[in-house]
Amino acid sequence: MKCLILKEKIEEVAKLMRIELDDHVVYLDRVQKMIEYFDILDEADVESEKPSVQELPIKNLREDKHIPYEERIIDTLKNYKGNYIRAPKMI
Amino acid sequence: MNLAISGLKYIEEIKNGNYTIEEFVSKTLEQIQKLDGKLHAFLSLNDKAIDQAKKLDKKIQKNEKIGACFGMPISIKDNICVKGTKTTCASKMLEDFVAPYEATVISKLKSEDAIIIGKTNMDEFAMGLTTEFSAFGPSRNPWNHDYVPGGSSGGSAVAVRALECVASLGSDTGGSVRNPASFCSVVGYKPTYGLVSRYGLISYANSIEQIGPLTRTVEDLAFILNIISGIDDKDNTTVDNKNEDYLSEIDAGVEGKKIGIIKEMIGDGADKEVVSATNNALKKFENLGAKCEEISLDMVDYSVAAYYTISATEAGSNLARYDNLRYGFDFPLEGFEFNSYISKARKNFGPEVTRRLIVGGFVPSAGFAGKYFLKALKVKSKLTAEVNEAFKKVDLLLAPTVPICPFKLGEKIDDPIALFLIDFNTVTANLTGKPAISIPFELSDGLPIGIQLLAKSMHDKALLQAAYALQNTVHLPEIQL
Amino acid sequence: MTKIGLEIHCQLTNLESKLFCTCRANYRGYEPNTNVCPICMGLPGTLPLLNQKAVEKATTIAMALNCKTPEKLAFFRKNYFYPDLPKNFQITQLNVYGPTSIGLEGKVLVDEKEIRILRIQLEEDPGRLIYEGSSEKTQITLVDYNRAGTPLVEIVTEPDFENPKQVRLFLNMLSDLLENLSVSDPELEGAIRADVNVSIQGGKRVEIKNIGSFHDLEKAIHFEITRQESLAARNIQIIQETRHWDEQRKITISARRKEEELEYRYFLEGDIPWILIDSQTLDRLKNDMPESIISKKERYISKYKIPSQVAEVLSSDKFYSDMFEQVRDETNVKDVANIITTDLMGLVDTKEKRENSKLTPQHLVELVNAIKSNKITRTAAKIALKEIVKSGKTLSDVISELDLVHVSDASELTRIIDQVLSEEIIAVEQAKTNPDTINYLIGKVMQKTKGNADPKLTLSIIQKKIQT
Repeated sequence: MKCLILKEKIEEVAKLMRIELDDHVVYLDRVQKMIEYFDILDEADVESEKPSVQELPIKNLREDKHIPYEERIIDTLKNYKGNYIRAPKMI
Repeated sequence: MNLAISGLKYIEEIKNGNYTIEEFVSKTLEQIQKLDGKLHAFLSLNDKAIDQAKKLDKKIQKNEKIGACFGMPISIKDNICVKGTKTTCASKMLEDFVAPYEATVISKLKSEDAIIIGKTNMDEFAMGLTTEFSAFGPSRNPWNHDYVPGGSSGGSAVAVRALECVASLGSDTGGSVRNPASFCSVVGYKPTYGLVSRYGLISYANSIEQIGPLTRTVEDLAFILNIISGIDDKDNTTVDNKNEDYLSEIDAGVEGKKIGIIKEMIGDGADKEVVSATNNALKKFENLGAKCEEISLDMVDYSVAAYYTISATEAGSNLARYDNLRYGFDFPLEGFEFNSYISKARKNFGPEVTRRLIVGGFVPSAGFAGKYFLKALKVKSKLTAEVNEAFKKVDLLLAPTVPICPFKLGEKIDDPIALFLIDFNTVTANLTGKPAISIPFELSDGLPIGIQLLAKSMHDKALLQAAYALQNTVHLPEIQL
Repeated sequence: MTKIGLEIHCQLTNLESKLFCTCRANYRGYEPNTNVCPICMGLPGTLPLLNQKAVEKATTIAMALNCKTPEKLAFFRKNYFYPDLPKNFQITQLNVYGPTSIGLEGKVLVDEKEIRILRIQLEEDPGRLIYEGSSEKTQITLVDYNRAGTPLVEIVTEPDFENPKQVRLFLNMLSDLLENLSVSDPELEGAIRADVNVSIQGGKRVEIKNIGSFHDLEKAIHFEITRQESLAARNIQIIQETRHWDEQRKITISARRKEEELEYRYFLEGDIPWILIDSQTLDRLKNDMPESIISKKERYISKYKIPSQVAEVLSSDKFYSDMFEQVRDETNVKDVANIITTDLMGLVDTKEKRENSKLTPQHLVELVNAIKSNKITRTAAKIALKEIVKSGKTLSDVISELDLVHVSDASELTRIIDQVLSEEIIAVEQAKTNPDTINYLIGKVMQKTKGNADPKLTLSIIQKKIQT
């Protein structure tokens, strides 16, 4: 089943992924081709499959201990004022 | 002093005092100077390499204990954190990012006195198959500079082939170590999922990727694997390999082993030279005492679609943290509102990453997840079951690493599906978590063809033994650098 | 028919470390961005390391709320962008591949109404945002990641509450429960937050977020019910939406809905394997669970014959019940219960007073024994207790320093009574006909003995003397 990916949908997804697209048409074509290729999945006979997962017993989990991080991480990062990270305003 | 030697041979030479570490590292840096303007394997170099070499030489002089690597110059793909160095993932989004901590594999190498000679070029955020998607320019195949070196660990493969380092660490998500290894005629390895810690590897598709070495010989690979593998309490997805020694008994051979050739991987999509090379490899294995048979894995035909669906979804999430607020590049935030700022900042992703992120936002979204992402997960499960079934019949699986011969820069960059299909033979190992290796096998028109082997989970030792056996039947002509 | 449901977030403040890294779980009181590390700051290449005790404590909460606890736990990513979210996704739990979150399908009784617990999940808290300048002129948001990664247990109930009173009782019960289990200190600011959803007459559900305190929660529910009822009375449709509680104006206001933000692209967290909880661990957690408050109360009433009101106070406060258990024995149960709930309560009714209290179980044992053996009077005991809580001195030291010895020695008491009677000649005359005046005389004796005179003996001696 071919799925027509509309320009609006691409814009919507780009917004969801927080990427400003200057010229949607450029991406529309290639993204459309990629997703069309995935339609091949329709033919795969896999309805009853359950996810294959890695398992770990609870006793192998990290011990609840406070170990401070020795270095002042905030000094290595950008955009900080005093002790805070600065971010743009929220509306 | 010859740069074209294996790592193990290098160690022997240093132990015998035939030359110093400083001399070798110096000559390596000269080689980089000489060739890398054209090849562009490296994004950054370690300006303290000579000092580090000198310090190690002093230790040897004083008869002090020194690590197993003896100052071996190793290059690292630029998506692995080396403390205090720029770690850019070949992206403008991280062009100023200096890693404040060290990846586990780097700590392990350093504790064995390896010298990190530099960070290598790659497709941006490991998304690509030719290294043409690097934001800082492509790398070139040392066999023919007009040709792609493969990707995404292109820089690593080039550096190892061009004698700009003895070994390299890359990352393999869908074939990103094996593919360039095949195109550049080096040995490239993807371990069993969980064998090597991913702590410090900048994630692209974290449920299927592994750090893997690239070397000139299989023994070197085993040597490096001994150092970097093992359970890590900083990575809960690592498994206990009980300190297995991958180098010992590497010459055990393949007598009596059963090898299955994956039918779907030498089908219509494969170049005839590649198919012919594969048949030669099968013959060689038979001469070594193995028994070969044909294996069919139905799900392979859907594996590329499944791989790109899953990896795009995970990438969409793993790359969400690049909002340029804590690390990234210079872009003042005054005057912007939060969402518009980060949307503008994230324009700094290259075109391929942008496309994959859009795909990755689309395929798991409501209304489409059932058809794409969830379906892909089911294909992954079934493929794993099929491969496990196959391993009840055979000990190893064989296929060409890449279905096609190396091609020119720019040739496929505009055809997304053609690019996808380069991974046709490699994604199976990632989706199923199995160890896989590419061994340089033949040249066709002066360009390399690699043969791939897969083994059961945690049977990395047996895999390396089979790879070693095949390697010893191969005599490729010298490369003209 | 009003239907109210709750979504409560409880921080596991009693843990040593965060959910996925070794920074402190209780971030309060530290300079901004000093309780952080590469993992909780979301630096590239870092991986989450799940805290074993957090899983255990969360499971214990699930058990206490009578939930089913699955054998395998799975974690998922909830993807969205926000400055307080270091990775721009939150690691949380879902139940899409069968039961995989900490607890499901539990229930509790609140005021005889059964409230069903839909699910309990373990997840991480985001950081904190501070807006520079006033909100209109704000140009910059300041982010503090100290809180990012703090372990949260989210408890979601079915909309079984019928009125705000039940909600309040439930939340009080939950606070006591969390304290009793030693997983969280509900007194800490922000340790328990709740969102609520309200619907009336089978209509659309309205979610209310941003409620700062339990006190405001009741107000918010009342307001929302009223708002919906007035809309319904005018035949106006109630829209299904999310509203925010405006603390200043004490009303709920519509929050702008953004369609795309509801798209979270949930999928399994690949960096955390599925966690297997074996039956041995579950048994150990069950056995190690402290006795529930309800069970304690019932035990106090049925086994020790303590009055219901006293049992209620004792059982619902861990500080008192711990003290009670340590002090009581077969002979003094009621007396201990009594002294804790009458005399001690006023002295240790705040967190600060409890932290500063020097009282030990040994002190209480001695005190109760001294009262029983008539060494000191009840009144004197109250004075002694106050001093012990303040200074921690031994009972005998306090008795001698404050002169609290029970004057029950007849001759000594007689001497003092004689003194009083000689000073109060008029009262003595009046006492012959007016029994109330005797109390006055007893009071005088008490004054002279600083409350240490044995009241019974004093009365009988005075009565005898007056008759003569």
